Amino acid sequence: MHFAITNPAALCAMLSSSLVKLSGVDIAVIAVYFAIVIFIGFYLKGSSNTSEEFFMAGREMTAWIAGLSFVSANLGSLELMGWAGSAYQYGILATHWYWIGAIPAMLFLGIVMMPFYYISKVNSVPGYLHLRFGDGTRAISAISFAFMTVLMSGINMYAMAIVMKVVLGWNLNFSIWISSITVAIYVALGGLRSAIYNEVLQFLLIWLGALLVPIMGIIEVGGWSNLKAQIAVRLGSTDYTHLWSTTGHFRDNPMGIHWTGLVFGLGLVTSFGYWTTDFLVVQRVLSANNLRSARMAPIIGAAFKMMVPFIVILPGLIALSALPFHLVGEAQAVASGQHSYNEVLPLMLVRYCGPGLLGLGVTALIAGFMSGMAGNVSAFATVWTYDIYGAFLNKKASDRHYVSMGRWCTFIGVLISVGTAYLVQHAASIMDYVQGLFSFFIAPLFGTVILGMLWKRATKAGGFWGLLAGTGTAIGLWSWVRHDPSALRYVALSPDAKALAEDMYRALWSWLACVIVTVVVSLMTKPRPEAELEGLVYGATKIPEERDDHWYQKPIVWAALIAVVFIALNIIFW
Amino acid sequence: MREPISIWFFSGVLFLIYGAIITVTGLWELSHPLVHPPVLYNQFHPAIWWGALMGVGGLIYTIRFWPRVR
Repeated sequence: MHFAITNPAALCAMLSSSLVKLSGVDIAVIAVYFAIVIFIGFYLKGSSNTSEEFFMAGREMTAWIAGLSFVSANLGSLELMGWAGSAYQYGILATHWYWIGAIPAMLFLGIVMMPFYYISKVNSVPGYLHLRFGDGTRAISAISFAFMTVLMSGINMYAMAIVMKVVLGWNLNFSIWISSITVAIYVALGGLRSAIYNEVLQFLLIWLGALLVPIMGIIEVGGWSNLKAQIAVRLGSTDYTHLWSTTGHFRDNPMGIHWTGLVFGLGLVTSFGYWTTDFLVVQRVLSANNLRSARMAPIIGAAFKMMVPFIVILPGLIALSALPFHLVGEAQAVASGQHSYNEVLPLMLVRYCGPGLLGLGVTALIAGFMSGMAGNVSAFATVWTYDIYGAFLNKKASDRHYVSMGRWCTFIGVLISVGTAYLVQHAASIMDYVQGLFSFFIAPLFGTVILGMLWKRATKAGGFWGLLAGTGTAIGLWSWVRHDPSALRYVALSPDAKALAEDMYRALWSWLACVIVTVVVSLMTKPRPEAELEGLVYGATKIPEERDDHWYQKPIVWAALIAVVFIALNIIFW
Repeated sequence: MREPISIWFFSGVLFLIYGAIITVTGLWELSHPLVHPPVLYNQFHPAIWWGALMGVGGLIYTIRFWPRVR
């Protein structure tokens, strides 16, 4: 997630007039969407009676549904608008967060990691850590995840409300309460199944609502070659349309990043941490109806993820060439009344989409926000119920009691999110702190999970102390740079590095700290008998044989095909 | 007894409704053209073809995934 609002209250005060005026047709399009998502919640209530149904969607999802839901839970509207703004600001480099920052990790999840998650029949990532490393590691992981998930959900909610205020002139309270009550109703009623159904719907909506912008934009600028030439003339640089050739030095590209940060920090650690261990996305895959579907789901998700830059990055690049005015950072926008980077996608929607289509585009943005929020609260409800309440507070309750707890947790998660949104309204700096905090847990968690899955010798003590050391390292490095900005030269290897580069290197160091401490402590402690590791670790687990009738049914074939396309795209846009 | 409603049926219905609304809006704009349209490339009438595309796709999915009697 990359979305910055430096002074939201001032921003609201400055912008009294909205960017867009919706017609009656647009309002009708939005109203139809809300009616359908709430209907889905009520319709699915009857099939969410047991904990397996409520929290895991009965493990009945096909590969396509689980795969689209997997990628949709991540594709929030702020993800769309934030990265479109980043594309305007940094050029095509922003695409790395969709390609090297996602595709290898998604394929790795499907091919290597999914069998262990799936065979162990765990309900969550902390649940796997419980089986592999014991209660201590599960507790750290579950508490940090539950806490950060609802806080992040609130921050996203507030940022979304701000965008609705700026773009549509909607009242902040209206946006926050309408969207959160809708999400709470359909998730509390239908559980994960309802969240997944809506995520699939929202994914399709996002594509249909946003796809017209790059199509019309490409017509306006006269094709990709013309777009590159126009950007080069307008900005006096060709750096904005190259993925890798400008990353030889921090100073040579608009993002201030080095290729080592992209490859190792983003591609190896942050990306693998998020896509393979963040329960928000992994939960969708765990709902698959069999192991083959569970392996195919992230692969299908990867194929769609690879296409997302077409509706996110390309509009940002087209805006660089087509918009007659220049967008600025949020602080400058507040001071000068200009439009900010984050408004690039709505600006492009207004440029090409008339009545009806505009309503569809705005619905796509709302749908994106709601899919992200539903993902957060459903994952929160599951981790709270299974890994905190059921594991430590009330181990012997009935299945019915846990389902009831899950429904209440959904409402409570939404309420905490709303509270966070209002808290941020009065202290915007909280947003930076929470976004920083979230990144502290992801990279070390990947170190713990991957060693747990691939290395039989890793012990309970190794996992616990490694996770703690990695998280501590991330917090320490973050605090160091906040108190002494010159420390950036050590943390990110260059004083020229910018915020995103710092994030990548901090993730890399915290992951390394986790891995080193896990290995050292494991070698100093007594290993678990191999029999106890069956179903949890590579080499101690017999992976069920998949009987595919045809070669094209094999997950590895599709993963290889996507890997080839991924490599080709990186070379084409080098 | 009908089989459970598929997500693809819901998608089909939603896009059929959207396709109808947007296409009709586009046809209305075609018959009542503005001297100064508020958006670029209005002469391509994207609401008509984009709406029609959604409507046809929605119709196909609605029929294909209509909940059948078991």
